[in-house]
Amino acid sequence: MKIAVVGAGMTRFDRPRRELQEELVAQAFKNMMEDLPELDIKKDISAAFYSYFSDHLEQQLCMHWIIHDYLGLSSKPAYRVESGGATPIDAIINAYTFIRAGLFDLVLVAGWEKMGELDTAKVNEFIAMASDTDWDYPVGGYYSGYYATMEVRRMHLYGDTEEDLAKVSVKNHNNATYNPYAHWRAKNGTKKITVGDVLNSRLISYPYRIMNVAEVSDGAAALLLASEKVAKKFTDTPVWITGIGLGTDSMRPGDRTGNPAWVGLYPEDEAVWPEAETKPLSPYPEMANFGSFRVAADSAYKMAGIRNPLKELDFAELFNPYDGVEISAYEDLRFCKRGEGKKLVREGTTERWGELPTQLSGGLYGQGHPVGATTIGQAVTIFWQLREEIPKKWGSRNAQMQNPKRALLQGHGGTGTQAGVIIFER
Amino acid sequence: MVLEEKVEFDNSKLNKWKKWALKGDMGVKGYRIVEGAYGSRVDKIEKRRYMVVERPHGVVYQHSYGLLSRFYEGLLNKKLYGTKCPKCKLVYLPPRVHCWNPKCKLEETEWIEMPLEGEIVTYTIMAFAATPFLKDLPFILTYVKIGNSCTAVPLQLREVNPLNVHVGLKVKVKFVDKPKGDLMDIYVVPAEKPKPPKRSKEEEERLKKDLKIVEEWVKKHFPKEQ
Ligand SMILES: [Zn+2]
Repeated sequence: MKIAVVGAGMTRFDRPRRELQEELVAQAFKNMMEDLPELDIKKDISAAFYSYFSDHLEQQLCMHWIIHDYLGLSSKPAYRVESGGATPIDAIINAYTFIRAGLFDLVLVAGWEKMGELDTAKVNEFIAMASDTDWDYPVGGYYSGYYATMEVRRMHLYGDTEEDLAKVSVKNHNNATYNPYAHWRAKNGTKKITVGDVLNSRLISYPYRIMNVAEVSDGAAALLLASEKVAKKFTDTPVWITGIGLGTDSMRPGDRTGNPAWVGLYPEDEAVWPEAETKPLSPYPEMANFGSFRVAADSAYKMAGIRNPLKELDFAELFNPYDGVEISAYEDLRFCKRGEGKKLVREGTTERWGELPTQLSGGLYGQGHPVGATTIGQAVTIFWQLREEIPKKWGSRNAQMQNPKRALLQGHGGTGTQAGVIIFER
Repeated sequence: MVLEEKVEFDNSKLNKWKKWALKGDMGVKGYRIVEGAYGSRVDKIEKRRYMVVERPHGVVYQHSYGLLSRFYEGLLNKKLYGTKCPKCKLVYLPPRVHCWNPKCKLEETEWIEMPLEGEIVTYTIMAFAATPFLKDLPFILTYVKIGNSCTAVPLQLREVNPLNVHVGLKVKVKFVDKPKGDLMDIYVVPAEKPKPPKRSKEEEERLKKDLKIVEEWVKKHFPKEQ
């Protein structure tokens, strides 16, 4: 059975957004309904899945109950999905699964986050509560620390450089300047940045600088998923979900050097190891890669019949809270071999003019990172790109890809502790 | 039954933490009227009036360390414990009470005393951090393999120039003078002369400049800590 996305909408990611969360979701929902004149909220929508990350940030438990009745959906089945940064991709996958199981025909997926009611240091502390609070948290690194240690490991094993990271940052920030829903554009307008700007921006956690790091944003985004049976009722140009996948890795990144659960799963990757280095018990993914992305991608590729992602995908939206994650993702999603992600950066493969553009939305610091909405917002960009609606939706002809057919969406939570991948086709 | 205690928060007494927690009972304490934006697109926004209230919320948890309590009690006595699986012989620090090797089907592990030496698996130089750690900037966060543990534990590395830290550095574990029962009771220091990682002149100058900015920022914001 085929599952379609028939509608997508969002409200700009920015900080602070002073509207209430339900008002933000209402804006995203209305933005989506601009293209769904036939939609009867009461008759057509069968269920809803909600995505928000933190009860602490929102200072509200079960906030989706507020959202659900606000949208006029009382009585309809609904629940909240919660899995850190993977929350929004998991919410989409939940909706997909229920439709595929034949339980529902038309399902709303809505995500939001308001992170602007606390100062940034406190926000980081609350986000870090998704790491092991007895082990990783007390030492004071928090996510900027954990991810930085993982990138230093990559620099050591593969030779990623600060300049590689800066190039990823430049690409993504500049992509965001076309996007009128992007936090970066809301804050900084449409001027382009350079590698020098990134390298001279404030150091946060070596090698990461403020311009390599995700935004703390407020915002909301929504998708409408449909069974094949009802999809055509709402649109002549649905976007089909042809593959999904989920994957996990250990809670604590430090445990990945010796995890028997991984040993032998990916022998080709385990073989990629510098001779001078002691090989740990579990050489892949170790601390240098994101194995959860690999597991999720392999299952999504299998389902969608993709053998060579670099050739068969037209563009991708990745969950890049830190720039090294994007370089690693190229490897773990099989765009290239392990350790060669930096080559794709240096050769411009993922630039907007390249073979496989990534982060046309601007990604997590470009478009922004209101956690519960982040990946849904990236899915909105994919939806508009695949329907070639960017000129209308963004007011930019230049940002529209020529005739794109197939895109990948990747999301994750923790330090790659939980991941999801979705393949979209028009 | 309480066997031993050293607490700042006691349910029966109104000490400073209790007062602090009460002060933080969720409730509105003040307001502000601000002008803000409204609208979905950056290029199409309108102005609106918003009322923003201040709403503090404080909590104190009574958190049990469970079967890992042995590890934390060890810290209080300046001893470092890990665990070892009797079946597959893997050594764990962080300790695991049940072996996670799928073959061992959650076999209960045995406590062993760990040597106070290890090797840096990876590290970062923290130049910004959450509130309680701001005054310590810049500091070095590392993941260290202690003894023959198969996993690495996050610890701070001290007594070293951040520019010289490198993967593979041999380190010694030290205890703080007054352990309080969390991972910050231990830290590591170099056990050998570091071999600084290869950096271009430009990279090195940039990093030096970065560190200077952080040090000045800390001096300005935390003058008393100096
Ligand atoms: Zn075992």
